[in-house]
Amino acid sequence: MSIEVRGVGKRYGDFVALDDINVSLPTGQLTALLGPSGGGKSTLLRIIAGLESADSGSVDIEGVDATKLPPQKRNVGFVFQHYAVFKHMTVAKNVAFGLEIRKRPKAEVKAKVAELLELVHLSQFAHRLPSQLSGGQRQRLALARALAVEPSVLLLDEPFGALDAQVRKELREWLRRLHDEVHVTTVFVTHDQEEALEVADEIVVINQGRIEQIGTPDQLYDEPANDFVMGFLGAVTRLGPLRLRPHDIEVAVSPGVPGSTPGVVQRALRVGFEVRLTVDVPGQEEPVLVVLSRTHARALDLELGSRVWLSPTTGATAVSVLGLARPEVVSA
Amino acid sequence: MTDTLVAPAGPARTTSRSSGLLRLTPTSGVGLEVALVWFSVLVLLPLAAVVGAAAAGGWGAFWGTLTDAQTFAALRLTVVEAAAVTVVNAVIGTVVAWVLVRDQFVGKRVLDVVIDIPFALPTIVAGLVLLSLYGPESPVGIDIVNTRQGIFLALLFVTLPFVVRTVQPVLIELDADVEEAAASLGASRATTFRRIILPSLVPAITAGSSLGFARAISEFGSLVLISGNTPYRTEVASLKILKFIEGDNQAGAAAVAVLLLLVAIVTIVGLDLFSRRVARRG
Repeated sequence: MSIEVRGVGKRYGDFVALDDINVSLPTGQLTALLGPSGGGKSTLLRIIAGLESADSGSVDIEGVDATKLPPQKRNVGFVFQHYAVFKHMTVAKNVAFGLEIRKRPKAEVKAKVAELLELVHLSQFAHRLPSQLSGGQRQRLALARALAVEPSVLLLDEPFGALDAQVRKELREWLRRLHDEVHVTTVFVTHDQEEALEVADEIVVINQGRIEQIGTPDQLYDEPANDFVMGFLGAVTRLGPLRLRPHDIEVAVSPGVPGSTPGVVQRALRVGFEVRLTVDVPGQEEPVLVVLSRTHARALDLELGSRVWLSPTTGATAVSVLGLARPEVVSA
Repeated sequence: MTDTLVAPAGPARTTSRSSGLLRLTPTSGVGLEVALVWFSVLVLLPLAAVVGAAAAGGWGAFWGTLTDAQTFAALRLTVVEAAAVTVVNAVIGTVVAWVLVRDQFVGKRVLDVVIDIPFALPTIVAGLVLLSLYGPESPVGIDIVNTRQGIFLALLFVTLPFVVRTVQPVLIELDADVEEAAASLGASRATTFRRIILPSLVPAITAGSSLGFARAISEFGSLVLISGNTPYRTEVASLKILKFIEGDNQAGAAAVAVLLLLVAIVTIVGLDLFSRRVARRG
C-alpha cells in the first residue's frame, strides 16, 4: 500500500471535517476522492500532504509513518486548484525549483526539466513567465513542477476546477494518459462525478466527513452502497417503489409490457442529443424523470400530453424506496 | 523641494508597451491634457525654474557653490544619512509589515494605526517629540541634539511608515498556496521566504524605500530642532538652502536644490531598475 490512512479525524471548532477515516491506496493507482463541497475531501488530501495536521489517527506513505512529518519531508507532489505557480520565475525555473533545492547538479536539473516540459507539452514555453500561459498550460506546468522531484505520491486538489469545460475534458483525458505513462500513485479531489468516473481506477466517496463507499467506477455506479452515493453519481428518479436512473426507464406508447406504469408527458426538454421528459404518474406525488435519446423520442413521436407507459429497463440498477440496503438488478 | 512628488517606482511590469499612443479616444485625450497641464503647473515648471535659477549664475558659480567645502559637507551628510536610513527602513519596515500581516497579537490594530503617526504629524512636531525625549532635558538621560545620531533618529522617525505601508498590501495579497507548493517541493521556511516571498515583495520594498529616501534628503522640519545645524558636522542640505536664502544667495540655494533633485532622480530610477531585475530573477 502506498498510502495508508488510519482513524484520521479533524475538527474545526464544532465542525467535524473528517470523522474516523480509514482508507488504503495501492501503489501506482489513480484514485479519486469524490464528494460535495465542504465534505472533507480536500482536508483529507491536505492531511496526506502534511499541509494540515490531523487531530487523531495516522498517515503512512510508502510504509513510513508520516503523521508527524512536515510537508518538506513527505516527498509528495501537490497540485493546487489555482495552480500556485511561482509568478516571478520562468516556466523552466518553476519546474527546476524542487531540484535546485535538493542541490542536484546543474546538468541533471537541465535534462530533467527538458524531459518534463516535453512530457507536459510545454517545451516551447520554457522561457516564458506563467502570466503568459493559459489556465490549462499553467496547470500542466504545476504538474510538471510537482513531478520533477519524483514524488512517491502525487496529490491533486480539484486540479481542473478553475478551467472551462472544454479544457477540463482535454486535461482529464491527458491526466489519465500521463498516469498510464508515469505510473506514480495519484490521488485527486473532485466534486465532478463524471470526472471521477472517467479518470479514476478507484473512487472514494466522501460526504460530511465520512467515507460513504470505496470502489471502482463500475461498482459505484452499478452497486451504490446507499441513496447518497446513487444520487451523487448521477440523476435519480422514482418509479413506483423503485429509485433508479432516468435513462434506465423504458418508454412505450402502448401498454405492452406487463406491470408498466401509465403516465402523461408534462414537459419535454431537448438538450443536445438527449430528451428529458417529465412524466406525471397517477398515485405518485413527484413526477418521474425519463431521459432518452433524441432519435428514440422522435421514433415514438412524443409530445406534450402524450400518454406513455413506463417500466424499468432490463438490467437497470434500482434501489427500493422502502430502504433495502442492497440495490437490486431488475430482471426481465 | 518637490522630491516627494516624484512618482514611486511601481511594481515591475513585464507587459509590452501598447503602441496605441497616437490613437487616443476623445475622453482619454482630455484626460491626458488635464494630467499634463496639472503635472506641468505643479511639477515641471517649478523644477525648470529652479534649474534656470541655478544656471543664471553661470556654470562657474554653480560649480563653485557645490565644491565649497561647507556646502559639500552638508550635501554629503544628507545623502549618506538618507542612504543609511533607507537601508534600515527597507529591513525594519518589511519586518514590521510582516508582523502586522502574518502574526496575531493583542494591540495589533492599535499598532497598525500608530504606524502612520510619524507621517501624519507636522515634521516640526516630530522634532519636538524627539527633543522632549532625547533632548538636553531627556528623562532617560540621552541627549542627541546636535549630533549625527540625532539626525539619523529624526530621519528614521519621519520615514518609518513608507516601507511598511507599501509592503503590507502586497503581503496580504500573497497566495498561501504558493508557499504551500514550495513547502511540498521541499523548500524550508527560509528558502521559501528568500526565493518565493521576497522577490514578490522587492518591488514594494523599493517603492517604499524610494519614497523614504526622497523624504529623508528633503527633511527639514524635524531637523531644525534636532540637528543643531553646525557647519561641517550636523548641517544638512535643506538647512543649507535656508541659509543661502537668508544670505540672499538665490543662485547658491538653487544649485543645492538642483543637485538634490539629481540625487533623487538617480536614486529612484536606480531602485526601480534594481527591483525589476530582482523581481525577474527569483
